[in-house]
Amino acid sequence: MSANGAPKFREDILQKISNAPGVSGGEEAIRSILAEYARENVDSLEVDPMGSLVARIDPAPARPRAGAKSGRGSRNGGRRGPHVMLCAHMDEVGLMVTAVEKEGRLRFRRVGGIDPRILPGQVFRIGAEGIRGVVGALPPHLTPRAERDKVTPADDLYLDIGARSREEAEERVPVGTYAVFDTTYEAWGTTRKGKAFDDRAGCAVLASLIQRRPPVPVTAVWSVQEEVGLRGAAAAARRVQPDLAIVLEGTASGESPGAPPDEQYPFMGKGPALTVHDRTLMVHARLLDRIEETAKRHKVPTQWKRPGVGGTDAGRIAISGAGVPSAVVSVVCRYIHAPAAFLDVRDAQRTVTLIWHTLETLRKEWP
Amino acid sequence: MSPKPSLDSLLPALSEAYGPPGREEGIRAALRRALRGMGTVREDALGNLHLHLPGKGKRLLLTAHMDAPGLIVTRVDASGLARLTLLGPMPAADWIGAVVSLDGSARGVVGWDRPRDAKETREIEPEALYLETGLGAKQAPKKIEVGTVGALLDRAERLGDLWCGGNLDNRAGCAAVVAALSGVRGLRNDLHVVFAAQSDLGARGAGTSAFGLQPDVAVVLDVAFVGESRGTGDIALGKGPCLGLKEEGYLPHPRALDLAKRAAKAARVPHQWLIRESGGSDARAVRASRAGVPTALVAIPARKTGGPRVLVNANDLEQTVKLLRHIVTTPYTGEKGSR
Repeated sequence: MSANGAPKFREDILQKISNAPGVSGGEEAIRSILAEYARENVDSLEVDPMGSLVARIDPAPARPRAGAKSGRGSRNGGRRGPHVMLCAHMDEVGLMVTAVEKEGRLRFRRVGGIDPRILPGQVFRIGAEGIRGVVGALPPHLTPRAERDKVTPADDLYLDIGARSREEAEERVPVGTYAVFDTTYEAWGTTRKGKAFDDRAGCAVLASLIQRRPPVPVTAVWSVQEEVGLRGAAAAARRVQPDLAIVLEGTASGESPGAPPDEQYPFMGKGPALTVHDRTLMVHARLLDRIEETAKRHKVPTQWKRPGVGGTDAGRIAISGAGVPSAVVSVVCRYIHAPAAFLDVRDAQRTVTLIWHTLETLRKEWP
Repeated sequence: MSPKPSLDSLLPALSEAYGPPGREEGIRAALRRALRGMGTVREDALGNLHLHLPGKGKRLLLTAHMDAPGLIVTRVDASGLARLTLLGPMPAADWIGAVVSLDGSARGVVGWDRPRDAKETREIEPEALYLETGLGAKQAPKKIEVGTVGALLDRAERLGDLWCGGNLDNRAGCAAVVAALSGVRGLRNDLHVVFAAQSDLGARGAGTSAFGLQPDVAVVLDVAFVGESRGTGDIALGKGPCLGLKEEGYLPHPRALDLAKRAAKAARVPHQWLIRESGGSDARAVRASRAGVPTALVAIPARKTGGPRVLVNANDLEQTVKLLRHIVTTPYTGEKGSR
């Protein structure tokens, strides 16, 4: 996959952070992988009071560089361009253990949106050591006939780690421990399978973008607690006070045989999805225009995300302070918020390419 | 163009301007025309339109939202009908029959997949609405993209004592602000006027404006609908502007309310009280901005028709203009630390 003059997508980072656990509020493992990687590429790096990882990276000094490839991308009369906040959230949906019962069963609450239909029988990795647990439910032969076709409410489910007593279970899994889907990253053709592509896909795209000094001043924010209310990015935006923001997401594909054909969008493999509107944001019209123009100019295929559904950190960033023009660009994933998501690695590269060239556009054409 | 814009010219011009939430470019342009010669106008990061009328005294923010109900295309179906979701709180049922402008250019009319035996229209889901553009099954998918934003295309008309129009919430407020400012003399406050964006999506523009301006006091102007006010009795058309005492997320600051009350008294403008559990103007976002802003809410009474149009009373509008003029020429006397 050609990077088209932009940095290469770092699949190695995606693999590492997809496999690591990081439920909302417990993002340490993801943060350390990203911090270790980012340290060498950026001008400053800090963990903010909410736990988000915030990196600042400035453009190269304004002088012609030998071997600069693109004529368009060359330095532009010393103009620095707008300060852009690029943001991707580190946290994933998962479970939190809330009680240990005397038989050694663990009760849990969902953290973030998980469809209860996918839970029974699922294997989870619990805590930093990754203790395996299975989600138990009433077996069919003990379920009243009228209830068998119904979804078991999450409150009636439990995690079973094979412990025989409360004491044994408590020693291995204290209350408050997080659990994530037990899924290992795999490559199948151009498809990648793994957990938490919402939003490790965005995190890896952002990591890829800082391999080189960007065309404009960039603050990269890997935010926390998005899945529980867009919290980390809201706080980060107030500190960073950018001129504009682009949020990088992994978003749900609409391809599903049950839906009417014209509702089956966006698609995995057809390029980055652009948001016009979701529950939290109307995308800034001129910023969206710049992104669309850039995609056309650099022949990056794009598609629309379905309007009116979902919500991202951009909604909070946009209304922070005196207001920040904001947009969302997403890698389309199948089966997000579920044990195994899919993405097309070409879409990840296209997203890196689109954002990189958009930053070049913004240096010249913003406001 | 008349040097002093009157309500009679402002209401039709402002009401027909395109300006759904987040896509306010049409109404911004119309307001820029209406404000010509009054001072420097600027647009901010969220699309709010600012006018500063410098004066001695406290910094007063006068704000009215300029966005109007919108809808957005989610897909174009096999028969060429655009399917929709709504921007803002106007119920799906009220859209039926509305003529819509798409991105300020193409047109369509909103229809509804009416079940054969339907008697009630109240429970209509947005998914049952469609937009017929007449482009047909072949052209429509090519010409209408997902994400195309529509707004009511409707020019306000005078009907006896009433004004009738699709976008009068809150273009009536915008018109009243412009009329109140035109030719105003003797400002007793440092006046910042904001025509706020994205109010219908949750007071987004007014909140960021207040954050940026850090006013000493704010007056929010919006419309309030008959049937919404409880407690001291419902509001009615023709009895003057309302002063807000309570709405979802908002209680007035006593000194700010006092400013509005003193101005009403001096102007001999009759007023009504607005007490609503729901609603939700921009007042809550301004009031809670930064460390808090003393805020008053003034609302023009309006009536819903059950369709896309709303009604306001012409005399209420005149009285509102008078009240606003007195508010900006009455010095705010809030003590320091009275937030």
